[in-house]
Amino acid sequence: MTAVVDRPLDEPELVERARRGDFRAWETIVRRYQGIAFRTAYVLSGNAADAEEAAQDGFVKAYRALGRFRRGAPLRPWLLRIVANEARNRRRSAGRRERLALRAAVEDRPGDAVPSPEAALLAREARERLLAAVERLSDDHRDAVACRYFLQLSEEETAAALGVRRGTVKSRLARALERLREELS
Amino acid sequence: MTELERRLLALEIAVPEGPDLAPAVLARIEGRPFPWRRAAVLGIAVAAVAIAAAFAVPQARTSILRFFHLGAATVERVDTLPPAVERSKTKGLGRALPLDAAEGAVGFRLALPPLRERPEHAYVLGGELASVFLHAHGQTVLLSELRSSNELLLKKMAGDATFVEPAQVGGSPGIWIAGAPHTLTYVDRHFGYHQQAILVRGNVLIWIRGPLTLRLEGKLTRAQAVELARSIY
Repeated sequence: MTAVVDRPLDEPELVERARRGDFRAWETIVRRYQGIAFRTAYVLSGNAADAEEAAQDGFVKAYRALGRFRRGAPLRPWLLRIVANEARNRRRSAGRRERLALRAAVEDRPGDAVPSPEAALLAREARERLLAAVERLSDDHRDAVACRYFLQLSEEETAAALGVRRGTVKSRLARALERLREELS
Repeated sequence: MTELERRLLALEIAVPEGPDLAPAVLARIEGRPFPWRRAAVLGIAVAAVAIAAAFAVPQARTSILRFFHLGAATVERVDTLPPAVERSKTKGLGRALPLDAAEGAVGFRLALPPLRERPEHAYVLGGELASVFLHAHGQTVLLSELRSSNELLLKKMAGDATFVEPAQVGGSPGIWIAGAPHTLTYVDRHFGYHQQAILVRGNVLIWIRGPLTLRLEGKLTRAQAVELARSIY
């Protein structure tokens, strides 16, 4: 007996179909990566409207550039590079960089002891100081920190998103951390 | 990993929930004007009327290359813009009325952004279109509103050098028009009455909110216009 299994298409298949003009395949890819694309654009621009535009434009441009996408390469870093580029272009043309904010309430993790109100306040202030120090970094250093730590991208993906070599990411992060330590000491 | 790196990883940045980008992305790559046009039951009939209206504009001897429709607005991509006049600050917007009287004339309450003081006056054209001036991002911008089901149609014609793109305002469909000047004509859908086309040099965002079609005109970036539009209720 033959069983017909409706399995989801894997990424190379989706890319190939999209390359041949299958819009539904690209829709699947958009839905798969739109979350990380929007978050990437947001941490780079700090502005939700800019991030939405950057992510949308990024997916459109990526689709149109599929002919130049190297077969077999991972799609996510390539997409993030296009989206990040869009976000940074918008930030540059706006002539400003909007500051990120911490989430209003950080949930206690299971197993954590509930901190006293005073301890919670101090911890919050420490986080605010750290974020403020990150915002004072140069654009290059701040973007490397945002991609690597806030988005938790790998070094390879951070390099792809920022359009630089992995070694450049390492050196930017090292300098950024050094600057942060000086600021916070 | 150092302590500082652990602290950076543990920072919880407030990131707003991202929108569903797929409908807008698909609309753009498929070359369809907008996905919501598929659901527009009256789309074909309205298009036919509006195309007829386009040729009713005197001396608009131009071919329509592409056609967009949203609420009470149409945008036509043309190879040549029709003759148009420059608009002075308020000329062509209709009668200036106290805000309450203007709302009474058009029959709906104007959607406005949060303001310390409501505008004193609004301009009313044909008992259907109401416009107010707002100040945002250091610019004066014109906000116009009309019912999507009205007889009045805002007809825009845009040449090659003007960008016409789909936009979203808080989940509602919109059109963003920017770049080179385009023209605006008020057209009666059924009787073909029209005003002289006006040359618009600013950027324009058109979007739908409930039964209304809204239009922002000014020297705002797309992001600024969308941000302002989102605050208009």
